[in-house]
Amino acid sequence: MPVFASCGEALLLGLASGPACIAACGPVLVPSLLTERAGFRPHVRYLSAFLAARLLGYMLFAVVAWELGMLASMLPAPRMLLMGAVYVLLACILLWYAYSARRTCAQPCADSKLVSIGAKKNRGVAGAASLGFLTGLNLCPPFVAAGIRAAQMGSLVAALLFFAAFFVGTSVWFVPFLSLGCFVRNQAVITVARMAMVLIALYYLSMGIAMLLGKKVYGY
Amino acid sequence: MATDVRTLPLARPEPRGILRSLLLTLPILIWSLLMFFNPGSSTAPIRRIAAAITVLFMTSLFFMMMRTRSTYRWRRIFFVSLGILFPIGFIYNLILMRGSMGIPVEEMIAGRTPFCFMPIPFLILPAALTRTLVFPGSIASSSHGIAAMVALWLALTLVMGKGWCSYACFFGGIEEGVAAIPARAKIRKLDPRLRYVPWAVLLAMVLLSLAIFEPAYCMWLCPFKAVTEYVAARNALGLVQNVIFVLLFAGLVIVLPFLTKKRTQCSWFCPFGAFQSIFNKISIFEVKIDKERCKPCLLCQNACPNLSLSKESVARGETLLSCMKCGACVDVCPRQAIVWHIKGTQIAWKPERARLMFLYSAWALAVMFGGSIIAESVYTILHFVV
Repeated sequence: MPVFASCGEALLLGLASGPACIAACGPVLVPSLLTERAGFRPHVRYLSAFLAARLLGYMLFAVVAWELGMLASMLPAPRMLLMGAVYVLLACILLWYAYSARRTCAQPCADSKLVSIGAKKNRGVAGAASLGFLTGLNLCPPFVAAGIRAAQMGSLVAALLFFAAFFVGTSVWFVPFLSLGCFVRNQAVITVARMAMVLIALYYLSMGIAMLLGKKVYGY
Repeated sequence: MATDVRTLPLARPEPRGILRSLLLTLPILIWSLLMFFNPGSSTAPIRRIAAAITVLFMTSLFFMMMRTRSTYRWRRIFFVSLGILFPIGFIYNLILMRGSMGIPVEEMIAGRTPFCFMPIPFLILPAALTRTLVFPGSIASSSHGIAAMVALWLALTLVMGKGWCSYACFFGGIEEGVAAIPARAKIRKLDPRLRYVPWAVLLAMVLLSLAIFEPAYCMWLCPFKAVTEYVAARNALGLVQNVIFVLLFAGLVIVLPFLTKKRTQCSWFCPFGAFQSIFNKISIFEVKIDKERCKPCLLCQNACPNLSLSKESVARGETLLSCMKCGACVDVCPRQAIVWHIKGTQIAWKPERARLMFLYSAWALAVMFGGSIIAESVYTILHFVV
């Protein structure tokens, strides 16, 4: 298949499955964005870091998908294990992020840095990038569909290009998240966002552990 | 600084005359009779007796509200009764229909899960993005259907705002009843940051419901599953879910209300309550504080069962967004500085008229919604007894 045709297909797949992508990333993205400072620029910076790391996750997955040929994600057992591990990691990062976000400025302040997870101020790992990378590895249905197509590509470069185009298609749907910058930030909003992060982390943690143990969530 | 309450002049309202109170109660009596004795209603004797008891109950309480000019204690009798009676009728029906309170997956797949109002906030985003209702119930079923419940909720909410949580919610009465038991609160110092938790639960559950395509709150966190309908546990995770329901119920609905004399589940956890708070912005009825009359004794803050008053809000002359319009603060204020208010009018401009307008709306809807539940549960009890 010509490269441009497969890229077009990936782009359309990304655009079509955007709502599923933002639904999957929403629980991570919305509370973490709400803990950042208000304004357009901090949110552009956050989303840039988040999406860049997500692209990295995509590319890594493309390499694995192509190298394995028969995609690991197609097999239920390794897929469950991978998802379980990603969920547990995501939960840990979210908890760490919620803890680190306690220093966020509720009022306008000189500190323009994004929340960085880790003990030392401004020296930890960028929270947005960590979350972006892990959500990039999250095996949501459109992502698995893209992985299967990438595995069928003739070369590694084609698989990477396929995932890059898929990434561009899905990323368009993330632009509305910039509007969260317009919301007023005060201590109440930041506290609510941090508490929500903890709850979401607990959910991911329980799901991740259940998946690692090979348990099914009731009814499914 | 808090003023010594003993130095404040007590200005309790004079009781209204019996005849005038009866006259004011007449519209509610007629409404109740229309609701429960309309031509389409059942003529079975036990049904008629249950309906008569309900009419008498609801009308008497309204009469007492008119006669004494106080709201909270009479509303509480209705609300606690609703909270206790709802599970009785509901569980009886469940056992009659399927022999158990646990709902099996097959029933969910068949769309036979009864719908309560709690999942409403969690349905909005998935419906908007995918035009799908992420609830395993029927839309058009005559009883427990999604459409009927959403329509009722919308009507009540537009009128009462968060008053829903004091006049319509069939869960809050249990903890209000438990909170009324002890004479004094054992825990008095409450962290104000706990007020943020319902908003966090709302945010987290709305986002998770969108991500996992099911009402996450109902699946994992609803304390009232313990006394209504839970997921039938067939594996370890199902068991974990049910343990969470029971622990949350025991902690938030029984133990903490007993220790704090507050509605802790509503104040510190309920995401639907947080969602309802938003509608306080559009409801025309509100509770206001006349700053000229107010000597900040903070009796109102102590009396509020929902932590909807703080020193700062009292100083501003208003309640917090989470006010449930239960009337506890209005009734307790020794200077009658806290008043029912209609938006757009001056504060303290004929507050009793504002109270009457609110109560007519709220009680008419309470008769229609809560009254029907009470009548059904009374029928269930009579069915067993007689």
